[in-house]
Amino acid sequence: MSQDQLVELSRLLYSPTTLLLYLGAAFFYLYALTTTVGRREERRRGRRAQLVGGVLAVIGIGTHVAHEIVRGLAQDRLPLGNMFEVTSLMALVGVVTGLVYLQFVRRRPELNGFVLLGGSLVLALALLMYADPGPLMPILDTWWRPFHVSLLVAAMGIFAAAFVFNALYLLRDTAERSVAAATTARSGGSTVGAAYIGDLEQRPDGPGDPTPHGERPDDDEVEREHARAYRDELRKGIPVLRLAVGTFLGTSLVSWVFWYSEASTAAGVSRFLSVNLVMVATALLARWFVPFLPATATLDGLAHRTIAFAFVLWTVGTIAGAMWAEISWGRFWGWDPKETGAFLTWIAYAGYLHARATRGVRGRRAAWIGIAAFVVLMGTYLIANYVVVGLHSYAEL
Amino acid sequence: MGASAPPPQANPPVRGSRRPAPAGPLGFVWSSVVMGWRWLTRMRTALYLLGALALMSVIGTLVPQEPNVPSTVLEWREGESGPGVLVSQLLDAFGAFDVYGSPLFNALLLLLYLSLTACLIPRIRAWIRLVRRSQPPLIRHLGRQDASADLVTDATPDQVHATATQLLRRRRWRVRTGPIDPSATAGDAASAATPAHARKPDQVAAEKGLVSREGGSLLFHLSFYVLLGAIVFGQLMTFEGQRGVVEGEPGFRDTAVSYWSYAPGRWFGEGDHAGWRLDLDEFHVDWVRDPMAAGAGQPTEFRSEVTITPEEGEPYEATIDSNRPIDVEGMQVTQLDWGYAPRVVVEVDGEVVHDGFITPQVEDGGAYRGAVKAPAADPDVGLEIFLYPFAPDDDETGRPIPTGAPWDDAPMLLFRQWRGDLQLGATQQTLNELDTSALESEGGAYLRLGQRIEVGDVTIAFPELRRWAGLQVSSRPAIPALLGGAVLLVVGLVASLYAYRRRLWVLARHDEETGRTVVTVAGRAFQRPEAFEVEHAELFEELSTAVEHDHRPGEGTPPGRQPGPPDPTDTPHPNTPDDHEVVRP
Ligand code: HEM
Repeated sequence: MSQDQLVELSRLLYSPTTLLLYLGAAFFYLYALTTTVGRREERRRGRRAQLVGGVLAVIGIGTHVAHEIVRGLAQDRLPLGNMFEVTSLMALVGVVTGLVYLQFVRRRPELNGFVLLGGSLVLALALLMYADPGPLMPILDTWWRPFHVSLLVAAMGIFAAAFVFNALYLLRDTAERSVAAATTARSGGSTVGAAYIGDLEQRPDGPGDPTPHGERPDDDEVEREHARAYRDELRKGIPVLRLAVGTFLGTSLVSWVFWYSEASTAAGVSRFLSVNLVMVATALLARWFVPFLPATATLDGLAHRTIAFAFVLWTVGTIAGAMWAEISWGRFWGWDPKETGAFLTWIAYAGYLHARATRGVRGRRAAWIGIAAFVVLMGTYLIANYVVVGLHSYAEL
Repeated sequence: MGASAPPPQANPPVRGSRRPAPAGPLGFVWSSVVMGWRWLTRMRTALYLLGALALMSVIGTLVPQEPNVPSTVLEWREGESGPGVLVSQLLDAFGAFDVYGSPLFNALLLLLYLSLTACLIPRIRAWIRLVRRSQPPLIRHLGRQDASADLVTDATPDQVHATATQLLRRRRWRVRTGPIDPSATAGDAASAATPAHARKPDQVAAEKGLVSREGGSLLFHLSFYVLLGAIVFGQLMTFEGQRGVVEGEPGFRDTAVSYWSYAPGRWFGEGDHAGWRLDLDEFHVDWVRDPMAAGAGQPTEFRSEVTITPEEGEPYEATIDSNRPIDVEGMQVTQLDWGYAPRVVVEVDGEVVHDGFITPQVEDGGAYRGAVKAPAADPDVGLEIFLYPFAPDDDETGRPIPTGAPWDDAPMLLFRQWRGDLQLGATQQTLNELDTSALESEGGAYLRLGQRIEVGDVTIAFPELRRWAGLQVSSRPAIPALLGGAVLLVVGLVASLYAYRRRLWVLARHDEETGRTVVTVAGRAFQRPEAFEVEHAELFEELSTAVEHDHRPGEGTPPGRQPGPPDPTDTPHPNTPDDHEVVRP
């Protein structure tokens, strides 16, 4: 195959192939999530959907890996040299670790859909930075590169997964709190309220282990009615407007870089808006799924363990960067924008871990710190590559 | 950064100051010191300090830093670029042009280390006490543990206890055996100082992970002292100098005066130079030249072939590559920069006033910009030089068109001539810049390689084009210490995030009804309950096998698992918040 064909093939494997497979897998997993509260035959359909989602995800990972390999062949080097490649690998690592962790370690396959959705978003984000394959600058042509870059990229991918868990945690927690508040306000006299409380107690872990339903169809029907009402109540606990505006503003903390870095205002605004609107749409979608999420404590724990793991990778990757810098640039630390970014990100996640470990901050405050840390990560990543470019400027090819 | 309040049980309360505060003015000073210390020991203080440091490093990224880009800082100060003179003055007042050298930054760093120390001292004391004294309590009810499983066997309780003790010891648990002492059920490790009985044990209590968890965290924090020490030591002992060398021309010797820029640490004396000599034989560079190829125009190679002549000994050849600096008598020589080195000959009235290679540096747009300074002429001659390595002639006009491509297939040297006073030594100027404030422009022209041109009474020739390499020579004796600090940091980090403290009890009882022995294996983790659940299941399996193996019953049923804890492999994880300190009696 000619070089051009390889380039073309690698691009096709990436988008639309991998992108659509991830999205499709996410769709099936998310659909399966909604059936966990349904009737028996519905649940069976859900299990089948989960299976389809799993197969699609595996094929998607396969095509993603194939893309990396073909791209590597097309340029005769490891695909770790520029922002597109780094972001693409970040998605791959995030998806693979996320799925393996959820499926085999924590045994929460029902959350796979969110990881795949997040992976698709990162994949799409990388498309904004697409660059054709090319050779490496000689300074990058050393084994230090895979060592330094893949550690950091893996950490970024896992931090992204942790961000998903933190965001879901906040959604679920907000919903539960407002339902609890409403139930208390309605006072114990109301039978409706009592039914809700009963429901809440019956499923402390969400739909993860559906309790067997009553024998008599009437009971079944009534209970399902209650469950549906409870789900609506949960969703209503998250004001749509606040969620949309908050997501828009939060995303803007990072996405302004796209606006800034684009030569024409029109192109800048359209990029900025498309990133923001996609995030808002995702947030609204996640809101709809809130009733099907597992218990907040589970999400909290998932976020913590993923951040702890990624933090170790980030630390080692940054130290590796400093060692490489000493060899390559003749100094191990010079407060170059990316070095500053790595430092800030490290501080931010260290803050998260410390807050949890020592003050016993968990739950909402911890989740917010985790989200802020991810904003620092993405912000410094984009700023160091687009706004204040330093020695590391091979990024933007 | 440190935890001022380690896990509840992990830490006997830290005693307050026993010394009564002195009265009078001294008392005021003393109480201020105590208050300051208390403030420093707060976790929150450390986080604020860290936040402030982070903020300053953001400023350091957004505002040009004098040690890195002095010229940009000058432009900001003079209002040529940046936010204007007024803002620059304000920035100057706060030391924002040299954030990392500013007193504020150093004061914050100092406070942070004080705070770290204040946090760590009580933690270390408590940890040592804990490691020395902690014993798992003997308890009466095993039912209330997070993980619990039962097993029935024909071995006697004592046999089971012996097997369990052995098994746990082998797995490096801290094991204690003893009778269930009603007075020890409170669960306070320190007060459960039941004398070691010679009596037969009724229970095996074990604990693990208490050294590594807190210890890892302490190691992580202590590594910052190693890093700080290494950085301070490094700044005193380090040396860094840069120098450009032209191919085939005499190079330079490692002495204090031969570097273009020179930054020795305070304790690096002139005598610490080794005095070897370096000459550049050839500098290799290449690019992707095909404009249609991927990565067109990108460099593919930078390589310096050099000859090193030690002060004593034979000269030898070496190659400096990207990512492959060389070591010369303990000093690292790194290749940082390169450029074209045109030889420029300037004659005034037939007399040579300048003949030598200049070392222009590349600018945006692909021009290599440099300067010729000829103070030997009267008045001085100055040339502003722009070298375009690839400027082929236009087919129609016959005039050169600069392309910006970096390969020297059609070099063109463009210059502008200045006469007057170069002010050498009077004003600060770099090698490649003219200070034109006392010079008059005399017009300009371009030259092809090998050409000469007359401008008035001045003749300018461009007979040769070579390359130069910018090398850095550095000595950093603190690097091993820094690496050591980094290793401690990572080891401590992994231990503090992955080790977890847990307790386990094995209680074997004779069941009167069946005549067999019922063994309960129960325990809980202070952190990472999900990991403990898996470990508990493994330990349980191992214990059952060991009991069966050690006391193979002649008859009867093999040890079986009774309805115990959920098997973590087939049940979703229970609702425990991850990594919480389980504080249960
Ligand atoms: C103190 C030293 C260093 C630190 C703290 C550091 C930090 C980072 C960070 C945080 C990233 C990932 C995020 C990003 O791409 O912006 C990164 C990526 C990268 N680094 Fe470094 N680095 C250091 C030294 C080096 C050196 C010496 C080189 C090569 C000569 C290098 C080459 C790269 C490359 C090629 C990437 C991925 C491509 C990209 O920029 O996206 N780094 N570095």
